[in-house]
Amino acid sequence: MLEKIRAQKTLITVLCLVMTLAITVVAGMDFYQFRNYQEVIIPGEGVTGSFMLSEYLPDLKGTYGDTTVYVMEGKTDGPSMLVLGGTHPNEPSGHMAAISLVEHCTVDSGTLYVIPRANNSAFTHNDAQEASPHFYHIQTASGTREFVFGSRATNPLDQWPDPDVYTHQPSGQSLSGSETRNLNRGYPGVANGNMTERACYAITELIKDKEIDITVDLHESSPEYPTINAMVAHESAMELASNALLDMMLDGVQISLEPSPSTLHGLTHRELGDFTDTLPVLMETANPSHGRLRGATNEELVLTGKDPYYLKAAENGYVWVPYDETGVAIEERVARHLTGIHYLCEEYGALYGETLSIVGIPSYDELLNGSLSDYLN
Amino acid sequence: MKKLITSLLCAALTLSLLASCGGGGNNANANSKSGANTSANPSSGSAANAELPELTGGFETPILLTSAGQSADSDIIKTLCTKANITVELENRATAENLDGIKTLLISVGGSSKGLGAAGIDADQEIARVQKLIKAAQDADIKIIAMHVGGAPRRGDLSDKFLPDPFNAADAAVVVSGGDTDGLIRGLLAANSVPSAYVDSQADCIGCLTTLFS
Repeated sequence: MLEKIRAQKTLITVLCLVMTLAITVVAGMDFYQFRNYQEVIIPGEGVTGSFMLSEYLPDLKGTYGDTTVYVMEGKTDGPSMLVLGGTHPNEPSGHMAAISLVEHCTVDSGTLYVIPRANNSAFTHNDAQEASPHFYHIQTASGTREFVFGSRATNPLDQWPDPDVYTHQPSGQSLSGSETRNLNRGYPGVANGNMTERACYAITELIKDKEIDITVDLHESSPEYPTINAMVAHESAMELASNALLDMMLDGVQISLEPSPSTLHGLTHRELGDFTDTLPVLMETANPSHGRLRGATNEELVLTGKDPYYLKAAENGYVWVPYDETGVAIEERVARHLTGIHYLCEEYGALYGETLSIVGIPSYDELLNGSLSDYLN
Repeated sequence: MKKLITSLLCAALTLSLLASCGGGGNNANANSKSGANTSANPSSGSAANAELPELTGGFETPILLTSAGQSADSDIIKTLCTKANITVELENRATAENLDGIKTLLISVGGSSKGLGAAGIDADQEIARVQKLIKAAQDADIKIIAMHVGGAPRRGDLSDKFLPDPFNAADAAVVVSGGDTDGLIRGLLAANSVPSAYVDSQADCIGCLTTLFS
């Protein structure tokens, strides 16, 4: 027996090598295709122009950190708003809310700037060991649309290795090394920093140059995380946010308001308020597909938010959002973001006298009882 | 001997498992974590269902609005006051010095880890500040109104620590019902027969504020 094995040693070695190469090629092709996948966004008639973020930092040009900024200019002057979707590409409601603004809405007065893929590099990979799907699909009138479920952080191919400790600039705050690839820890950004810091810098420069009045950063978080179904506002935006929040509650949207901690640096709701004149607000909805308690991580979970383990957790009081067998569908999560944007615009008008009028934002109930596909091209 | 040791180990393991499963069933509501680790005792059935006197007017301005727990609910209450045409001075970290000339102390109750972080304090320091402030207000005959407007998200381990002091000291209270499904706040109010209003939403608080300051 031993001699037989010895005789076939070379054959076994060759077989192992071939299998290893085959796995490497298949995995490599998958990584390559995902990294170079071109997600399609179909701008609607409300989009009056677009430019690349690298206009504000030429170093970004030609890199995966560059991204498209959509401009939706109204017929008359008015305030301006910047909407950041895809700061964390594993939080799809922010991405989809931004895309539905670009594809479905128009602006009457004022100017809306939308960046659906704020951390573009993070859309080119998944988080390791999370078993997340690459894509999710939505059936629309123009066919089946495919959208990317990416990573929370910049692709290591664009920024590697992570330091042991990430030191935020200019505060000097120390964070875990992997946060160096988190767009929402890099503001106000560094012109000659790493890719994430450069993207932050370019967004900050855009806000300064265009004198953006309101900035809304759209996020999702795990149902077991306390800051959820919430608006987080810089102190300068607290009056605006509290008024918008009351309007949302009158619409039946349960949401809470959180102050931006002045000692936690790098986040939009802190640094954009400290370093620019914009009123920054961050919004969070519930996303079981990147929570720690989830079961199978697939496209269905991303779209429906239905998960038996979260149901069990909710029954035992361990989640911070209402959660039952109906899950938290993408429609509900996008509706929360869009309703928030709508009322932030309205209340800005009430407080400051000038209104950014966005036409075509579905009401909370319309989206809740309808389909997201109705607001995509 | 071996058998004896094995039996002892098995018994110890069984006991430890029973201990870790102890504490009875968790009846926390599905939207929030259970209110453990609070200095407030969960109210008994009768207190939780107690009828409370209705709100009456007569509260006077100037009003100092502060937070117990550093949540942004105080900003919401300020906005509600503005909508009710009532002027308040908001000082989330108010101390006795801020009470000069004040006739009513309005306390927004609800904890926020982000808010405490922003203030650079922990829950115990916040409780100590609120206790001192309430004592100073009572010594100066300043009326106290406690409001819990955050609903279920403002209950749980952190928020429940801030409930007893303001609600025990209150001359009037307004509560959004979703934040008191277990009757804990009602139980505190019932102990002193505090005139109170339970409302369905934050927007309904405007009417209560108008009544209080009529």
